[in-house]
Amino acid sequence: MSHPYAVHRVPIPRGAEVRTRVGATVLPADLLAVHRRPVTPVRVPLAATLRKAAAEVSACLLLRPGARLETGDAIARTPEGREARSPIAGVLLGIAASDGTAIVAPLGPEEPVVGHIRGRVRSIEPGAVTVEVAGAALRGVGGIGDAVHGELVVAVRDAGEELRAGAIDVGATGKILVGGSRASAETLTRARAMGVAGIVLGGVLDKELRDFETIQHRRREVGGQLDSFGVLLVEGFGKVGIDPQLFAWFRAHAGRTASLFGAERLIYVYDAEPPPPRRMLPRVGERVVAHRRPFQGRAGVVVAELEDLHAPASGIPTRMALVRFEDGRLAPVPIANLEATIVRDGSTAG
Amino acid sequence: MTQVKSTPVPDATAELSLLVDVGSAWTKASVIGRARGRWRIAGSLAQPTGWGDVELFAGLASRLAGSVDPRLTDRLVDLIATAPRIACHTPRRAGRLGLAAVSLELSAAAARRVAESAGWVISEVATTDDGRSLADRLGALQAADVDAWLIAGGFDGGQSDQALEMAGLVAAARIGSSAPVIWAGSDMLVDAVEALFEPGAVRRAPNPRPSPEVEHPAPLRQALEELLRQLVEPGEVRRLAPVAFRRGVSEVARATRRRIVGVDLGARYASWVHAESDGASESRVYAGGGLASSSLVTAGGPARLARSLPLAIDELAVADALQNARARPATIPQTDDELAICQAAARQLLAHGVASDGFVQGVDLLIGAGRVLAAAPRPAQAFQMLLDGVRPLGITGLAIDAAGALSPLGSLDDEEIGEGLGALRDDLLTPLGSSVVCRGGRPGAPAMRVTLRRTGWPDIGPIEVRTGQLVALPLGRGQQADLEIELEPGVSLGTPRRTRRVHAAVHGGVVGLMLDARGVPLHLPRRSDDRRAMLSSWRDVLTREPAMPTSLVTSA
Repeated sequence: MSHPYAVHRVPIPRGAEVRTRVGATVLPADLLAVHRRPVTPVRVPLAATLRKAAAEVSACLLLRPGARLETGDAIARTPEGREARSPIAGVLLGIAASDGTAIVAPLGPEEPVVGHIRGRVRSIEPGAVTVEVAGAALRGVGGIGDAVHGELVVAVRDAGEELRAGAIDVGATGKILVGGSRASAETLTRARAMGVAGIVLGGVLDKELRDFETIQHRRREVGGQLDSFGVLLVEGFGKVGIDPQLFAWFRAHAGRTASLFGAERLIYVYDAEPPPPRRMLPRVGERVVAHRRPFQGRAGVVVAELEDLHAPASGIPTRMALVRFEDGRLAPVPIANLEATIVRDGSTAG
Repeated sequence: MTQVKSTPVPDATAELSLLVDVGSAWTKASVIGRARGRWRIAGSLAQPTGWGDVELFAGLASRLAGSVDPRLTDRLVDLIATAPRIACHTPRRAGRLGLAAVSLELSAAAARRVAESAGWVISEVATTDDGRSLADRLGALQAADVDAWLIAGGFDGGQSDQALEMAGLVAAARIGSSAPVIWAGSDMLVDAVEALFEPGAVRRAPNPRPSPEVEHPAPLRQALEELLRQLVEPGEVRRLAPVAFRRGVSEVARATRRRIVGVDLGARYASWVHAESDGASESRVYAGGGLASSSLVTAGGPARLARSLPLAIDELAVADALQNARARPATIPQTDDELAICQAAARQLLAHGVASDGFVQGVDLLIGAGRVLAAAPRPAQAFQMLLDGVRPLGITGLAIDAAGALSPLGSLDDEEIGEGLGALRDDLLTPLGSSVVCRGGRPGAPAMRVTLRRTGWPDIGPIEVRTGQLVALPLGRGQQADLEIELEPGVSLGTPRRTRRVHAAVHGGVVGLMLDARGVPLHLPRRSDDRRAMLSSWRDVLTREPAMPTSLVTSA
């Protein structure tokens, strides 16, 4: 079974020390780099040591801001050979011209930069490590949160079911849950509290997502919660179920490891076939998913394309198709609001 | 026997060109053809950009099929596909800028306004008063994914330790990268800042806030625009839609000797152009200012927008509709509610653009472009978005670029642009009509009295317009009228001289003439029922067929 490669860029803070190499195989929990954040800086008086006026100190600098210093390293030297040395190890941040002091920030402990991604390192450049991912990528339409990884678990019975708080228990810890049509802010909060790594949903009310973000922000401010958590929406905002075809794909890959990047609206599922692709501009006979109200998230089959331009209720003249939805309703829908869903053998027949 | 010679029928040919504006969500295309010696727009369409060229050519061919020489019908797609193409496109990505400044309210705010209006997106802002520790500030700058850095702070002629500290912070955060740095702070610190970076890394730009009282954004904007072009999309700059739109509007202003404000509201970008009658122009390009803008959905955004709707749509539905439009900008509003939300969002973005740059006043013509305006189901809706969003103070003509042809024509080179726009002058813009917008006056009291004179028609008026009132009068496309406007004390049209009586010529359009005494900016009642009633009444005035007040006909 061959798997497609996606290329993922893992941002690395400038100044971090990369701990991998091109060609290396990395796992989601692997360390790609370590970063030592600067902590409270100290001011190192230079003017007196150099016997210079404060304004003249900057002309004597040996280093530029950003330079790493070890204890005793020379920071500045006069033409007469007088030197000022750093009393601590850290990073030089600059010089205060008014009093002739150097600002040196000691570095804190090493913090790991985890990629949350599995694959082969393709390149290392300033600010990023690029990884070839041996997995299927699915881009969603919205999302929040951090990069996480975990086992993919389907947590609802069908694609249109709402993910309820009661469905989340300790067994979900460290997993990426596939929900259905919606999750309330309460459900998201409980999921995070239970140590769930991430949640994939068809849709969610924007208001509930914002409420959840606000709660998390406040908790972080009081130092309560620091675990990573991500949410990905694959269909739209509001109560929107995952398209049954896509839901079946998730179900088929339950138990596989996945990496979810909420803010980037992206999920990778490893050792998986690609998700059922979608195409704009569906043709007659093709299965489609509708976006925008009143048919948002509903699937059906295009039975005809209307001749000439027609206007939906909004009054905007546009190309329309007649869609037989799966609930039996027949309705005209702007073609721009439809996507053809393609099954794995390449056909789109409904 | 006489032999009859058959005369060969010459192949029918067509002289066509294609104007294409490839947007981030929608592609707008027009076929122009020469008929009886004149170039005309023969047909136009807009389609999601993802549908591709083949569909575009087929769509245009089907639009033209009924009106072209039947001998061409079968070859129409090929003719369109091979026609000379005049094209522009939305920048493929926005430039990302890291901003470091001394004060959040002064230097950072001024620099941010300038950078955003030059088409940059601000990825990270750090200031000495942002409430973070120095270490946290450095950490945030180190993590920022940026194409360039902008440092601002300190007034000209002064030393500022804080500005130098921020420059040092950027130098420390930037280590290992070669992203260019623009120093736009105190002119006294140039050498000190340059010494913090490797040679050639720092470019100097004039301080946008040279003193506490003065803001001087233009030179920095120019420097940032230039840097953006070099870094993000080097090459054919005039093919970038915001640049082409500016050139197009400037040329229309020069050719018609009018002061014009043009606004192109797209999915991602919003471009504003202020053009003088001699063609000199200035533009503002907001890379995140379009309908997919995050500003609409940030905290409080949906609630604000819900308050500006004439329909009772709750905040939750507004938020979801805005997010869905952001997520899929190439879809279209299908319901009345979604259209109302989309148009309210457009009004809000226009108002925000005006608030950033100051009031629009004394402008002869206001041009609206972009799908939300050009594809409004009713011209009156486009009129309302422009009128309520921009609030053009004074006497202003309003028009839309319905075919989306202005930007592609603006991408022609200097020698051709005048000829191109001139050749299509009759088809290029769809005149909506004119507006007379005043401000001031006591609520409910008369604000202005307007008399309308048209050659060959009876005079109408004086029509009394009360403060807070909106009056629509019919004035069709191609019609012209002279207005005599008598202003009440305390009421102004924004003219420099406080004249009580104003004479002006106005042009009609598909909507008509609007006499608008609702003030600048608009104020809405706090109570939701009152607010909706007021918004509905304005919508009704704008969308109903205007009628002449026959009781006010004064002379033949």
